[in-house]
Amino acid sequence: MRSILAGFVTSAVVFLGLVTVRPVRVDAARAPGEDARAFMKAYCISCHTEQMKSRGVVPVALDMLDASVVADNAETWELVVRKMRAGLMPPAGMKRPDKAAHDQFLSWIEGELDRAARERPNPGRTEAFHRLNRTEYRNAVRDMLDLDIDVTGWLPPDDASYGFDNIAGVLKISPTLLERYLSAAQKVSRTALGIAPPSPTVDYFRVADDRAQEQELPGQLFGTRGGASIRYNFPMDATYSVRVQLSRDLNEQVPIYVEPQDLEVSIDGERVKVFTLPGAAAPAGPPASEPAAASDSDAPQPAGRGQGRGAGARAGGAGRGGGRQGQEARNRADRDWEVRVPVKAGPHVVQVAFAKESNAVAETARLPFLRPYPAGVNIAEARTGAYLRSVEIAGPFDPTGPGNSPSRQRILICTPANRSSEDACANRILTALARRAYRRPVTAADVRPLLAFYREGRAEGSFDQGIDRALNRLLISPEFLLRVEADPPRTPSGTVYRISDVTLASRLSFFLWNSIPDDELLTLAEQKRLNDPAVLDRQVRRMIADPRFDSFVESFAGQWLFLRNLPASVPVQQNFPDFDDTLRQAFRTETELFFKSVIREDRSALDLLRADYTFLNERLATHYGIGDVKGTRFRRVPLPPGSRRSGLLGQGSILTVTSYPDRTSPVVRGKWIMENLLGTPPPSPPPGVPPLKPPSFATKVLSVRERMIDHRRNPPCASCHAMMDPLGLALENFDAVGKWRALDESGGPIDASGAMPDGTKFDGPDGLRQALLGSDRFVMTLTEKLMTYALGRGVAYYDEPAVRDIVRNASRDDYRVVTLIRGVVQSVPFQMRRTK
Amino acid sequence: MRIVTKRALPRRTFLRGAGVALGLPLLDAMVPALSALADTPAAVAKRLSFIYMPNGVAKNSSGIDYWTPPTEGRNFQMSQILAPLEPFRDRLLVVSGLDQNQAEAGNDGASGDHTRGTSSWLTGVYPKRTEGADVRNGISADQIAAPVLGKDTALPSLELAIDLNFLAGQCENSYSCAYLNTLAWTSPTTPLPTENNPRVVFERLFGDGGTAERRAAHARRNRSMLDSVLDDFNRLQRQLGPGDRAVVDEWVDSVREVERRISGVEKRNNDELPTLERPTGVPERFDEHVKLMYELQWLAFRADLTRVVTFMLGRELNFRTYPEIGVTEGHHGLSHHQDRPEQIAKYAKVGVYQAELLAWFLEKLQSTPEGDGTLLDHSLFLYGAGLSNPNTHAHVDLPLLVIGGRDVGVDGNRHVVIRRQVPMTNLLLTLLDKAGVRADTLGDSTGRMPVSGLADV
Repeated sequence: MRSILAGFVTSAVVFLGLVTVRPVRVDAARAPGEDARAFMKAYCISCHTEQMKSRGVVPVALDMLDASVVADNAETWELVVRKMRAGLMPPAGMKRPDKAAHDQFLSWIEGELDRAARERPNPGRTEAFHRLNRTEYRNAVRDMLDLDIDVTGWLPPDDASYGFDNIAGVLKISPTLLERYLSAAQKVSRTALGIAPPSPTVDYFRVADDRAQEQELPGQLFGTRGGASIRYNFPMDATYSVRVQLSRDLNEQVPIYVEPQDLEVSIDGERVKVFTLPGAAAPAGPPASEPAAASDSDAPQPAGRGQGRGAGARAGGAGRGGGRQGQEARNRADRDWEVRVPVKAGPHVVQVAFAKESNAVAETARLPFLRPYPAGVNIAEARTGAYLRSVEIAGPFDPTGPGNSPSRQRILICTPANRSSEDACANRILTALARRAYRRPVTAADVRPLLAFYREGRAEGSFDQGIDRALNRLLISPEFLLRVEADPPRTPSGTVYRISDVTLASRLSFFLWNSIPDDELLTLAEQKRLNDPAVLDRQVRRMIADPRFDSFVESFAGQWLFLRNLPASVPVQQNFPDFDDTLRQAFRTETELFFKSVIREDRSALDLLRADYTFLNERLATHYGIGDVKGTRFRRVPLPPGSRRSGLLGQGSILTVTSYPDRTSPVVRGKWIMENLLGTPPPSPPPGVPPLKPPSFATKVLSVRERMIDHRRNPPCASCHAMMDPLGLALENFDAVGKWRALDESGGPIDASGAMPDGTKFDGPDGLRQALLGSDRFVMTLTEKLMTYALGRGVAYYDEPAVRDIVRNASRDDYRVVTLIRGVVQSVPFQMRRTK
Repeated sequence: MRIVTKRALPRRTFLRGAGVALGLPLLDAMVPALSALADTPAAVAKRLSFIYMPNGVAKNSSGIDYWTPPTEGRNFQMSQILAPLEPFRDRLLVVSGLDQNQAEAGNDGASGDHTRGTSSWLTGVYPKRTEGADVRNGISADQIAAPVLGKDTALPSLELAIDLNFLAGQCENSYSCAYLNTLAWTSPTTPLPTENNPRVVFERLFGDGGTAERRAAHARRNRSMLDSVLDDFNRLQRQLGPGDRAVVDEWVDSVREVERRISGVEKRNNDELPTLERPTGVPERFDEHVKLMYELQWLAFRADLTRVVTFMLGRELNFRTYPEIGVTEGHHGLSHHQDRPEQIAKYAKVGVYQAELLAWFLEKLQSTPEGDGTLLDHSLFLYGAGLSNPNTHAHVDLPLLVIGGRDVGVDGNRHVVIRRQVPMTNLLLTLLDKAGVRADTLGDSTGRMPVSGLADV
């Protein structure tokens, strides 16, 4: 135990006293802490007294704290440090120290806290059981079995704490959830081995109602428009049915169009079928093969149709395929749009899209991305061609065999030549699987229960069925579903110890990949080489470069920055007519590519706020008012100095998820900045807040800023809104979908002046950006978020010395994100644990 | 791309299923096969169901109130929100004036009225302010009922919801999202996950299909797997220190409970399951989604697969819009109506919408015969919210509506106003009484409702 600790202490000492920790003036004549006491007397203790605390005026009392033994009250002191670093204390308007005194005081406190932590490190304690969350389960299945299937329908979402859904303490079990694991395990093993399900399954893919389908969409074949592209895992060599359905209007009717609408179904880029909705110009009378055609010439066009933007492409006038019969025929047109096609087992891309016609382009040139709405009562159809509503993939039918899918290749590492060699082969297969599943070396005792299930399945059917049964059992093993961290045997309570290499490998892979360790990582751990800092560092770099790191971006950035909320953002159509699902997805793609580039290109964390580039396609560039970007492909686009779009605060994703459906909310944006960029969530409203006074019903439309002034007139509200609102107001030039605007909804010019919680004033997004860059808290906050996510527990006061250590170290390396990640991996809380 | 269902109801919400599920007219054919009750009309299954509205109802603290009936007593005058329930007047008992004190801010410095509104609704317990492993609430009324009412059904209870909970940053500071995501707690430390995907609910109710023989084999296999998993836990139990063993127990308890359920099902039912059409996913529109979830509850009741349900019509703090009824502001934002009459009126539309969907469900239950009456006759509902005036996060005078006929001891067509301080847990205890579930206390309960039975209030 001691030698382990010694190693840590040496490495930590190296970082001592550098950069942000200024040398502390030591006055030999004064007792330790005397300067600090004087500082506090001058700036803190007029409010933070026991008496004020007991009256509920302040949450923390500082008057009885002994500044000479900081370590004894580390929890309170860490709070002091946090509030002061964020500029929240002393509050604006009170007597405030000059910068030198402020920094000196903080450096001294931090120095004391850090010294105590070095002398007696406290890594805290991760939970003994850490259940895999849904993302981790999916990725583990993918990496163990080479089977990438969407398990989100099979397992419920996980409860989040501290902003992340991988917090061990709240990843609980219940009978309901266990039933779901049982059923998921069965489906996974069956699919991986290509064993037929009891009945064919149907997967249904719905195209978002608000996705415009006028243009070619990302991931689609050239010369198409709209549609859907689906990566789908076909479980066996068999026939599958693909059925497609056209979108309806608001009255559940299929609209009529001048030109025939060709809908192509392709698998892996090969066309397998074209379905045609006849155009209005088609000859009258049903074609022989159809029960009724989409055209008939008897009845007049229903009233109200044939007007509006889509009229050019749609059939207008009487006698062109309108009428009730024609309508009914159109409604039935896609009833039999089903193609049966043999497909080999494994993942394939199913694409469904319309053939693009030239006239659609001219029609949409003026307002290329207006979200075209479907016709309804008194609403003319605004779509220029048919839209796809859904794709159903069903099967397997008439299976010809399990095929040679990637998952079978991965699992079946041997093929028994005859019955007598089966057991040995099964043993090999299951030993290899168990090692990956349990993330540790396995023994015969581990494999024994699996073999028992193998034999049972083998006795009932085939070798494959035996493996299926054993794999099913493996997938509900506690050591697959749970990361288990057990204290070393017979260790006294409260002992600090270094976790094993094998445990470290799992912490690392779940941190950076949301998944199990791969062979290389596990082998290094088994050889006990992973604790070598150089080896560990190489692994971190390798893992960041690996495609599995994409999951880190999705999960970490998705939750830190709220990108995961984008699907739930539904801006109101009348206010934001050119917002649609393609733009929503482009928002997410931009931020994910951007976030990834900052890490992969070894850039500074500060670039997250100030980068001179971003990633755009034509759709997004047009939204941002940036020219010369063509097509659906995303590419890096340089931004001019001082660009509005520089960094996260200029990105549509963040600006949209922090808005209401119908308008911007400076409160939500301000709160988001305080929580996620400054790490100082504003306190929730105090109990018993009186409702806002109803505004006098002025004839003037008030701007959001004007409406919010009321918030701040009201003292209980003001204390927090005075901090949140000015941060959000600086972004008012971005509307609720992140489009730039000069005027707000009241028609007046936007006043984008704002202020930091410490009162520092600035103007507009660039001012906000500069203010955040100047704050100590941004990198600290990112580091705390990384730490929370990496450990799967909340960051506590005793982790703060480690956080400061990481940031201090990174400050000498331009705050590179990779350096922060490496710092987390090398930190005491990540590498060590305390016994219960 | 989302996986969702088709649009209209009821038929088209179920897959036609390319050769998968052809044949039987929807659902009717299966009921005789599944329902033990059909054979024994005398056996009346009592069901208990709790339906929750997020973000309170359209009212303020100075007289505007779209929920509370304007008159008291028998033959009360319907409020605007309750009006769609007029056809069921005889079964309605509107209870005004009850409080949920445990949802009020305590002295732990935490705000979080939405969180506590949800988590205390059926527990009457002030939740522990934490995001860590020490999450602690109380056992909820539905979960007190589940082991009693559900002892012979395939699922002791169903936990359903409309909103997903994958969103980031939508929980109140210093409370775990666990408190906000469900009403149901089987123990003070075990929240039950909710499900919003109709297809998953369907599969939980009816499984993957297949023959009775195949299902029986499947159940046997699952049981032997769970047995074997218990061995693993015993081994882990020995590896872990004494302080960590409680967490192993939680898992072991869950394994045992699932084993118990499986053997219960094995004993109970060897009927052939008819081929059923399955819902395909989560509909985009609120009404379609809610109807589909109600339809599944109807199905579960009808086939007697469960007798206890919690259903959240939304998650507190949600920002869902309802453009189909002209509500384009997010739900939570709108609920903070700032005392503006036109905002409250607008918010009332959401309440009416919810009540219309409830009426649709009640109608479905009423038109389904069961034993000597209908499904509705043997069911007891509590419909309401954990907040009353949402603008101030009030937890007093909660909107609460008991729905149940004389067969379950509810004397309806009345609006009762309680003028003393009475916790809503007293009502929950009384409801449990009516369902034949004996509980002495629940959270902060101080007794039963003022007079012993609801019918006598």
